[in-house]
Amino acid sequence: MTDRFSPGTRAAALVLLVGAACLVLAPLAPWLVKWPVALTVPATEWIGAAVTWLAGFLKPVARFAAQMLAYPMGWAGQVLIHAPFPLTIGVFTALGWHLGGWRMALGALAGLGFVLVSGYWAPGMTTLSLVAVAVPLALLAGGVTGIIAYKVPALRRPIHLLLDVMQTVPTFAYLTPLLLLLGFGPVVGLIASSIYAAPPIARNVLLGLQRVEPDIREAAAMNGANPWQQLFLVELPTASRQIWVGVNQTIMAALSMVIIAAVIGGFDDIGWAVLLTMRKADFGNSLVAGLVIVIFAVLIDRMSGSLAETRPAHARKVTWAILALAVISTLAAARYLPASNDIGLLGGITDWVNDVLGRFIIAFGPLLSSVKTTVMIYVLLPLRIGLDHAVTPATWGFPWSATLSVAWFVVAALLAAVLAWRGHLLAGLVLLLAAGMLKLGITHLPWPFVLLGAGALGWVAGGSALAAYAVILPAIIMVMGLWEPALLSLYLSGTAVLICAVVGGLVGLLSALSPAVWSVVRPVCDLLQTIPMFVFLIPVLMLFQIGEFSALLAICSYAVVPMIRYTRQGLVSTPEEQIEAAISSGANGRALLTEVRLPYATPVILLGLNQTILYAFSMLVIAALIGTTDLGQQIYLALGQGDVGLGIAAGAAMAMLALVADRLVQGFALKRSEELGLHV
Amino acid sequence: MKRPLATAMAAIAGLSAFTFAHAAELGATDEPIKLAVNEWTGQQITTRIAGHMLEQAGYKVQYVTAGYQNMWQAMADGDLDAAVEVWASNVPQSYHQLHDAGKLEDLGALGLDAREGFVYPAYMEESCPGLPDWKALAECAATFATVETLPEGRLLDYPGEWGTPGADRIKALGLPFRAIPAGSEGALVAEFRAATAQKAPLLAVFWQPHWALDAFGLHFVALPEGTEACYTDPAVGPNPDVTGDCDFIPTRVFKAAWPGLKEKWPAAHEILSNLTLSVEQQQPLMGAVDVDGRQTPEVVSEWLAANESAWRPVVQAAVE
Repeated sequence: MTDRFSPGTRAAALVLLVGAACLVLAPLAPWLVKWPVALTVPATEWIGAAVTWLAGFLKPVARFAAQMLAYPMGWAGQVLIHAPFPLTIGVFTALGWHLGGWRMALGALAGLGFVLVSGYWAPGMTTLSLVAVAVPLALLAGGVTGIIAYKVPALRRPIHLLLDVMQTVPTFAYLTPLLLLLGFGPVVGLIASSIYAAPPIARNVLLGLQRVEPDIREAAAMNGANPWQQLFLVELPTASRQIWVGVNQTIMAALSMVIIAAVIGGFDDIGWAVLLTMRKADFGNSLVAGLVIVIFAVLIDRMSGSLAETRPAHARKVTWAILALAVISTLAAARYLPASNDIGLLGGITDWVNDVLGRFIIAFGPLLSSVKTTVMIYVLLPLRIGLDHAVTPATWGFPWSATLSVAWFVVAALLAAVLAWRGHLLAGLVLLLAAGMLKLGITHLPWPFVLLGAGALGWVAGGSALAAYAVILPAIIMVMGLWEPALLSLYLSGTAVLICAVVGGLVGLLSALSPAVWSVVRPVCDLLQTIPMFVFLIPVLMLFQIGEFSALLAICSYAVVPMIRYTRQGLVSTPEEQIEAAISSGANGRALLTEVRLPYATPVILLGLNQTILYAFSMLVIAALIGTTDLGQQIYLALGQGDVGLGIAAGAAMAMLALVADRLVQGFALKRSEELGLHV
Repeated sequence: MKRPLATAMAAIAGLSAFTFAHAAELGATDEPIKLAVNEWTGQQITTRIAGHMLEQAGYKVQYVTAGYQNMWQAMADGDLDAAVEVWASNVPQSYHQLHDAGKLEDLGALGLDAREGFVYPAYMEESCPGLPDWKALAECAATFATVETLPEGRLLDYPGEWGTPGADRIKALGLPFRAIPAGSEGALVAEFRAATAQKAPLLAVFWQPHWALDAFGLHFVALPEGTEACYTDPAVGPNPDVTGDCDFIPTRVFKAAWPGLKEKWPAAHEILSNLTLSVEQQQPLMGAVDVDGRQTPEVVSEWLAANESAWRPVVQAAVE
């Protein structure tokens, strides 16, 4: 037996068996489909009570820390907001020159010039002051964590888990407890940003230190350095390039949290401006406010990114000259310059953007709406509630019947039999599973089937440990009573990931084949990744109305980016010698792609898929603003109502789903790499 | 100002209702009074007006941006001193808990005659001729249907964290509609924008005062009259079996403050307690900001200068 059937086949067969049993027994034992409410624990209440109790203890310390942190933030704000804008622009331009020559200097000048004329200078500077304090805090906390993980190998696994949790629990989920602890004000946003921004630096410090060549370390030890000297004088400097990558990622993460921090309020920053324009559904203005964040992100990314690279020296004289020019123009023009708040030259442009959007909707609204209707009826509704509920006279023109059910399964079984006959037993089993899932709908799947399915995937991807992991975490969600919103989340993010995998994979492939395509796709990817997604909710909503279709589009537009990037990256980085070897053995363009490049790129593409999954989950909370009913909405609801327990429970559930998906894909990626003899 | 005379008269009518109390002590004038600035324009206008009145009385005022749902603990702690436009319909549970524990003070109604209900764009009266009568909705449900709600009609409800009043109404009234939670105010407005541009069907739960009513030509559905009795006695209303089978009860819009306000700034407490603002006064200002795209402080300053009689007496009564 074991010789004939692969682990995948056996796992699929078992899952199919259990699924079929559930389907047959469901009328007799409804508890097989829906976990009985009586067996859920009031986890949200317990968590709420525990956290409130704990917060009572920690409150005095936390409040004191919050007050201490408010000082540097106040100072940063004072400096950035009250500095005359020509001076600020001059300093950044000089920094641009110093780090990246005339291109970066020009970029800084043009970017900050845009911020000035947008009328969002003061809120923009408030945002920068938040980032200016959050980043050092995150760097310190993350850096120390990374060093500890390096020095104490026993702690590495728990630290990795902690970092995963910090990155997967949606920030919205812990805003309420943070408010409870720290009181009201910008410090809450500061801490939330730091929590989210710390993991990249911790990971990169650890990675950098681990990659220090043993002989460098030995040389230091032989010269009589004690462990701490060795760390600070030898190892950390040697790892500096990797650490700068982490610094860059940390800054970007902190900047991406700006909008989340604004939900609490407390200060008048650019995130608050985006929220206000979003509330009015004023796309033109929200786009401008969003672009301010994009500009900051791109400038900071390029500037801090250049720190990780060896860069040519740029003449100091020019740096000083730019600075001097800035000071002189500030002094000379101080009298005549308008206040930064009074500059707003883009009113015409925002009106124009809104006008264009309006005309677009009138012109294409009916067409797009029929596209949406078709996709909803034939794809999304069956996926969510199953064919037996989605097929009604109002949608498909005829009702679903028992006969149809039988016919559906008979056809599926026949097809599966044909596949098995041809030697694709696994494909046949998967086909049967898919047919069953499509008939029932993701939100109506019996829980034993889901748990066992997750476990089977875990077992195939990484053995019994991963299988246990993949069963236990979802089971916890179920016992907490969050099963239904969790299944909805699974449906939304699962569908989004599927779409992203196909679309992103194709776009990535085209980008790899044609540099011209990539030169168009790349800036779009940059924009999608840095602009607050709130901005895009407005046109998506106006085109496709409130509902899951819009939510899905919003999720996809953000989550597709890593799939594109990694697919391209994987395909273009095939080692030359492999390509040459293939060409010399007579492979043409097509075979080269499918037989050399694609297999080699698979681990990297799977990594991209992994990122896409995590992105999709992180977008669920934002999608809640367009009226979903999944875990994201629960988190949002908890934030609105100040329900600490629900917020944390739903946030934890979201993190658990994301972690399971993450581990499964990583397991498959690792397996694939081992088959190829690669190191990821 | 569209109707200066009517506004002035409304203001005078409002003011005459006060019993002008004794002048109060100013209190700690060297410390700023922190007024909460929330997410919506109407609140920001009311706050600016209140802030200006306090400044005229001799106070320093600090405007602090604050998320409406999350600011109540801060106010109980004295990190915020007052919020001058609180809607009972969507105030979070935490407000009630803190208020009941004596950690927040209710400063009385703002006088903003808020109305909530089902709204539809005016052009829907052509495709559903019985409107605004609510009974027409039962017959036109299919007109309002979308693919998510087929065969029922679609009603856009409030965002989830504000509760589900739309779903409750249609259930009680037995209307063949399904309520879809909107997610956010921006989502509601985006739907109005898109639907009115295409003359597409739309029915939503919405409120007044709001600039969108004028901007998009929205009308209220005439539901059975909303009374306290209808919400307590099943016999009242068209459906004899349930309560709540009628229109929304007008929402109380009020002012709330940190309980220490009265002691620290007695005159400010009096000014804010006596502060009133009517829909007729607020709505044109909202239009100037949200439709014409002007800055809130500028619009409010103009109004304050032109309508001194509407607010000056309240300040004078408190300080003289």
